[in-house]
Amino acid sequence: MTSSTFSSTPVFDWRDRANKVGFVLRRNPLVLIGVVITIIWVLATLFAYQIAPFDPSVQNINDRLQAPSQTHPWGTDELGRDIFSRVLHGGRITIVAGIAVIVFGSLLGSLIGSISGFLGGNWDELMMRFTELFLAFPTIILAMAITAALGPDLRNAVLALVIVWWPSYARLMRGLVISAKTNQYVDAVESLGATRPYILFRTIVPNCLSPMLVLTTLDIGNAILTFAGLSFLGLGAEPTTAEWGRMVAVGIDFFDQWWMWLFPGLAIATLVMALNFIGDGLRDIFDPRTRK
Amino acid sequence: MSVFSRPRRALTLVLVLLTTLALSLAAVRAQDEKVLVIGAAEFLDSMDPARSYSPTGIITLNATYDTLVTFPPDTADSFVPRLAASWEASEDGLTYTFTLREGVLFSDGSPLTASDVVFSFNRFKNIKGNPSFLAATVESVEAPDDATVVITLNASDPAILAKLAAWPFSVVNPEVVTANGGTDAADADTTDTADAWFSTASAGSGPYILESYEKESQVVLVRNTNYWGTAPYFDRVILQNIPESAAQKVALEAGDIDIALDITPDQIEAIDAIDGLSVYTTGSFTLHYLAMNRNAEFGGPLADPKVEAAVRAAIDYEGFRQLAGPGAVTPAAMLPVGMFGAYGTDKAPVRDLDAAKALLAEAGYPDGFETTLEYPTYTQEGLNIETLAQKLKSDLAEAGITVNLVPGDIGTFIEKVRAGESGFFLVWWQPDYLDPDNYLYFLPGRNGGTRAGWLEADAEASLLELRDKALTETNPEERVKLFAEVQDYWIANGPYAPYLQGSIQVGHNDNIVGVFRHPQWLIDVAGLSRVE
Amino acid sequence: MPLHLYIVRRFLFAIPLIIGITLVAFIIANAVPSDPVSANLPEKSQNDPEIVAAFRREWGLDKSLPEQYVTYLGNVLQGNLGRSIKTKRPVIDDIRQFLPATFELATTSIITGLVLGVGMGIISAVWRGKLVDYVTRTVALLGVSFPVFVLALLGLSILHAQLGLAAGPGRLDVRITKPAAVTGLYIIDSVIAGRADILANALSHLILPSLVLGVYTSGLISRITRSSMLEVLGAEYVRTARSKGLSERVVIMRHAFSNALIPVVTVIGLSFGNLLSGAVLTETIFSWPGIGRYAFQASTSQDFPAIMGISMLIAIIYVGVNFVVDILYFFLDPRIRLA
Repeated sequence: MTSSTFSSTPVFDWRDRANKVGFVLRRNPLVLIGVVITIIWVLATLFAYQIAPFDPSVQNINDRLQAPSQTHPWGTDELGRDIFSRVLHGGRITIVAGIAVIVFGSLLGSLIGSISGFLGGNWDELMMRFTELFLAFPTIILAMAITAALGPDLRNAVLALVIVWWPSYARLMRGLVISAKTNQYVDAVESLGATRPYILFRTIVPNCLSPMLVLTTLDIGNAILTFAGLSFLGLGAEPTTAEWGRMVAVGIDFFDQWWMWLFPGLAIATLVMALNFIGDGLRDIFDPRTRK
Repeated sequence: MSVFSRPRRALTLVLVLLTTLALSLAAVRAQDEKVLVIGAAEFLDSMDPARSYSPTGIITLNATYDTLVTFPPDTADSFVPRLAASWEASEDGLTYTFTLREGVLFSDGSPLTASDVVFSFNRFKNIKGNPSFLAATVESVEAPDDATVVITLNASDPAILAKLAAWPFSVVNPEVVTANGGTDAADADTTDTADAWFSTASAGSGPYILESYEKESQVVLVRNTNYWGTAPYFDRVILQNIPESAAQKVALEAGDIDIALDITPDQIEAIDAIDGLSVYTTGSFTLHYLAMNRNAEFGGPLADPKVEAAVRAAIDYEGFRQLAGPGAVTPAAMLPVGMFGAYGTDKAPVRDLDAAKALLAEAGYPDGFETTLEYPTYTQEGLNIETLAQKLKSDLAEAGITVNLVPGDIGTFIEKVRAGESGFFLVWWQPDYLDPDNYLYFLPGRNGGTRAGWLEADAEASLLELRDKALTETNPEERVKLFAEVQDYWIANGPYAPYLQGSIQVGHNDNIVGVFRHPQWLIDVAGLSRVE
Repeated sequence: MPLHLYIVRRFLFAIPLIIGITLVAFIIANAVPSDPVSANLPEKSQNDPEIVAAFRREWGLDKSLPEQYVTYLGNVLQGNLGRSIKTKRPVIDDIRQFLPATFELATTSIITGLVLGVGMGIISAVWRGKLVDYVTRTVALLGVSFPVFVLALLGLSILHAQLGLAAGPGRLDVRITKPAAVTGLYIIDSVIAGRADILANALSHLILPSLVLGVYTSGLISRITRSSMLEVLGAEYVRTARSKGLSERVVIMRHAFSNALIPVVTVIGLSFGNLLSGAVLTETIFSWPGIGRYAFQASTSQDFPAIMGISMLIAIIYVGVNFVVDILYFFLDPRIRLA
């Protein structure tokens, strides 16, 4: 790949990447599986209203705790609600919550991290110590504390997770900005009289986007997992709402009625696994070591 | 070269092995004692009979302490002697004289005399703990001699014997209790510090002694060798805290526990099918109800009696019976079916969605309204309260009322309810004593009324008169008439919606004999035995 | 640099971190919408003006926020983490009761995770590119992606309920009385008490939760082990060792391994944090009376003092573990010794 001193092309050559994608897909078939499963879940939950045979909140005492059957392919729960429909609808909440956490977390983290890395010196030290503080708390514990403080509901759960999540992005962004700072085109733009914000936000940051993108995609799976954990603990949305983590929690009380906890549990597992497969593959694409 | 030469090392090894062997044998020997293990969800606030007000407390206290009188083992319609061999009431119903049985010893071997009864009852009254309202009608307690106790009431109390049969009127050992911070002085509510000690030991005369209590883990009772009555079968009884019914079933199947108290109706079939296990079912006096706050600040739209009536009309009572199991019934009012003077199931409400919507429209909510319902996350007698709440939400939604469920931990929930600040809450009532008098609690001027914002100041004079009459009338026929009136009032105009009387399922090993659910003490561990 | 200097340096780094943790906890505690009295005192006590006054004095609520923090910090350093609303006793006492159970579980889980993770990592690194590599990498990926609570449920359902291979929830069978408390760790206490039956029972109850948590942590450990082993195996000194004619086994175990360990040790530190989080969910499912379950019950009952106390404690433990990890580096990484 050629590089010129005044090249303003970002480190992102499509042809090269496309070749790599093909290469990786061949070497790592898991990525394909991951993509397929993710697409299935996204489509299924997106069209939940159309696909689901029942309204997820309709109760039917006569039909409670039914094993999987023709009418209820994944069985019914303790109030006679159709589990298949609830898993489809529950996925909407879980997926959207996971994405929201990543989006806001990465935005917040990138902002703080890029400013910190750019400014350097004492500001940088201060902001990094502050970031490390949050990293010191194990994820669920901190999320639990915040949700308990604010009151358990969906919005607060997402907020708590955003607060838990931004530090790792901040650190990453800071690292990227620091190494990008030394690039020659930065000097060039500076010598042309650009203001500092311009340099930071229009020159440096766009170049850091690709690794950030990789990390965020890798992380959606984790965010969904943690969110499911929180709702398992009852810290997510309101009790009647279909939510994967919560459905598993209720299912524990009905351990013998395995369909109540197995299906939502597998939903979480397969989606997160699929996302992690993709993430793994993405890492291979961007990992310099696989350039052999 | 090691400090321990080879012969010494071998010797040490042999010694260790022998010690282990000996100790294991000792352990095996210890297991010869007859142990009963009961699995139940623990809810225990205190082991002090003067303060305790919780199911786990009831079971434990019944085994470790005695009351003056009690009920027969399998009914609740008459009284039999316990500490008192006989008793009589004065003509005016204000004085009760009890003659104590002879030869009763406390667990530490000291004799139980009338002055001990006086101490216990005074302490109970003066501590002003949660159950202290039971002593409200007691003016004074005296011991003219060692074997006689005279209780003087300040007003006629038709339920006094039923109250005396309840655990707060347990007789404690004054020496032991005072040695550990207890007192019966008038300022006992601030000076008595024995509460914590009661969680470590018992000071009673019952068939068992409290050996240990590990919070949220287990309660261990051991045989009281100084017990005056028939020695119970089991040497040791363990009340194991197993919060989840599913876990209780697993433990029962595995033989980890002999009895599971919180089996759900859905588990009956599966347990019965297992060899060696069975399920005992019966109806419960537990009354599940909704309370709506008459204070508009907390209750909002629910402060309007028409809205309250609409709520009552919107509930799917039959569905709840299905959910609750074979022994479940629908009560007519805030008096459980089966209690003296209570209406039967013929007067139970039936769902009428049209009437509900009409009432809402009349009250000014033709399109319904939104509100929050608070409830504790708890499983009561095998019924998951959250499941009940979810069904209520669905039922009310069909009438146009949108309910947001707000679960809470039972401890914090009860505190909030007691403060009267909950606008709409779902809870249940287990009788404190087996007399309909207990349910007059749900009238203005009594705690149940206050907690629903139903205040004396706002109530009609006729209702208050009815209440006062019902509180003092002792003639049984008159009482039936009075309670009928009270129930009618509740049905027409009360801030409550009783929707279910639960079913009891007790899973147990077939070799356990004597499994019975008594409404007063839930389960009498001293009455159980095992067929070997 | 000499060991003691290094320890002092790492310690000095840890201190501001711990203080910072208390600061974060303090900020969160003050983010509660309701006022501190209603958040921290049981409802009954709130009506008693004497108790409220005593509480305000104890936590300096009448002073300015920074002064409150200082009071707060002072209390924490003395071990006063407040009084649990639910259990009505000092949070520190609750923690003392429940910590040993979690410590025991965490230790056995880390060991399981290490054995599984490092084992898988080495296998997939040494036989890189072969089928074994793909299989172990997929298993590792599964370990990381599978929600720990679902894993716990599956384990309980299959290994306990169906196959009867592992004991059920709780630390001991119901009939077995626990050993006299010396450390609170049943394994050690039962040995001290000489009760082989209690030891066997405690171990049988540890199997399932340790396996679940171990599998959960092994995923990450195995991936790091693999990549670090790969780096090291391709390194100069390994080629030198091979060319000297040493057997492959010696090459791997003696030369590659200890250097590959360095990032693994980091990951152990990270995993410990994960373990503590995962413990919340796992302890709840297995009715394990540890601080994870205590934290969960505290948060659902809005037992604020308990939540804050536990969060702080766990964070501090985490810092402590990383401190130990840093010390281990000293022995593993010659570059530090020579710095």
